[in-house]
Amino acid sequence: MHVPDGILPAQVCIGGYAITGLVTWYSLRQINRMQDPTQGVPKAALLTAAFFVASLIHIPIPPASVHLVLNGLLGCVLGYYAFPAILIGLFFQAATFGHGGLSTLGVNAVIMGIPALLAYHIFRLRQKLNGRVKSSMASGIFAFLAGATGLTLSALLFFTIVVTTIPANLDAATERAAVLALLLAHIPLAVLEGIFTVMLVLFLERVKPELLQNEG
Amino acid sequence: MRLNLDVYSSGDSWIHRWQPKQKLIGLGGVIFAFASVHDLRLVPAMLMVTAVFYASSNLPASFLLNRLRYPGLFLFGMVSLLPFLSGETVIWQWGLLSLYKEGGIAVALIAARFFSILTLGLILLATTRFVVLIQVLRSLGLPPVLADMTLLSYRYLYDTADNLATMQTAMRLRGFDQSRKWFFLHPNWQTLKQLAALAGTLLIRSYEQSEQVYQAMRLRGYGVRRAGYGVQGMGHEGAGEGGKCLTSWSTIALWVTLLVAAGFVIAEILL
Repeated sequence: MHVPDGILPAQVCIGGYAITGLVTWYSLRQINRMQDPTQGVPKAALLTAAFFVASLIHIPIPPASVHLVLNGLLGCVLGYYAFPAILIGLFFQAATFGHGGLSTLGVNAVIMGIPALLAYHIFRLRQKLNGRVKSSMASGIFAFLAGATGLTLSALLFFTIVVTTIPANLDAATERAAVLALLLAHIPLAVLEGIFTVMLVLFLERVKPELLQNEG
Repeated sequence: MRLNLDVYSSGDSWIHRWQPKQKLIGLGGVIFAFASVHDLRLVPAMLMVTAVFYASSNLPASFLLNRLRYPGLFLFGMVSLLPFLSGETVIWQWGLLSLYKEGGIAVALIAARFFSILTLGLILLATTRFVVLIQVLRSLGLPPVLADMTLLSYRYLYDTADNLATMQTAMRLRGFDQSRKWFFLHPNWQTLKQLAALAGTLLIRSYEQSEQVYQAMRLRGYGVRRAGYGVQGMGHEGAGEGGKCLTSWSTIALWVTLLVAAGFVIAEILL
């Protein structure tokens, strides 16, 4: 779900960098408000590397296999560090595998990073259910919503940007229909991403709960 | 998984010797100028400029072909239907299937821009040491938190990839077979749970390692507030190889490259 080089016009690429700059500035401002901002840097950096590597794990869905995006999970674990982490991860992906590109790095960061920040805020809502339902159930529900929303919103942004900027001379109604059809086709993947996020969050909550405790 | 970011960075060409800051600004300018090309008449010039840069970098052709393969296939998947869907002028028809001139031109433009931008990006990344590139970005205003995170992620990417490979081997040796009991388009929840545990273990190992790394960095003064110096970072405050010793030819190369970039933008506006 990375926009490659050459597809988007320069204005959109520059716009992507501008939004990325703004969201990075906002994320760093939130990070600098934390008690010790530098303490989270090694954690975020090593987890960025881990997420980068974990996204290479194949999930077999016969007759094919898929890679998970994991941006919702990244938001749950890294909080405001998620956007810089995604920016760095995308840079490595562009530099090493050619996923995405340098000119579209800003746009791709917006596509993957903003949903991750939203997923973080969704996952934090589980605290509102404290005492009303079992803690693991609350985590499971909001982890599913975070994981599925992360992927769905990324898919929506990706298809909207690609369909509306590719010079296909399509009218607005056809473009909307194309985006909707592509989005519907991604619902099974969003469900799978949500379920995988639940499984992973419940695993982390059982084994290393402090990984899910972000300052906010 | 091999990243191989620095494999060709010690080569010998004028692009390798070009001051990294000027190289980043110059090639970055050309990349964005190429992204603005929408006139097919500019494509030959764009490809020629790309070829001149690649030939000047002394990078092997096999490197470019290897790096083009995967993203090229991805791009093909994205735009291959465009000539059949977009346009009004039919240039070939077979039953209901029509090939349109406008869609064909759009694909040719996208493919040429993709090839040129990707090649210039590869030249930039392959001819500059990664650490130097981060130093240059830092001197251009990259926030220290982002620079530190990038350097640390880069340092531990190899370790993390090795960790994953070891864990996957261990799982296989214990009888894990992810292809078993999977039905057509229907996941096996047990296998999915095991893969989630694999990814979770990888995160936990990285997290525990990060605590040791942080303590080691702290002992070396990382994050300590010093009077008049702000917070101590990872030692990339200096411009390093990227910022000092502006050689005149590097500056000339920058201006020539920016003129080429400006030429494309102006030509695009005028044509």
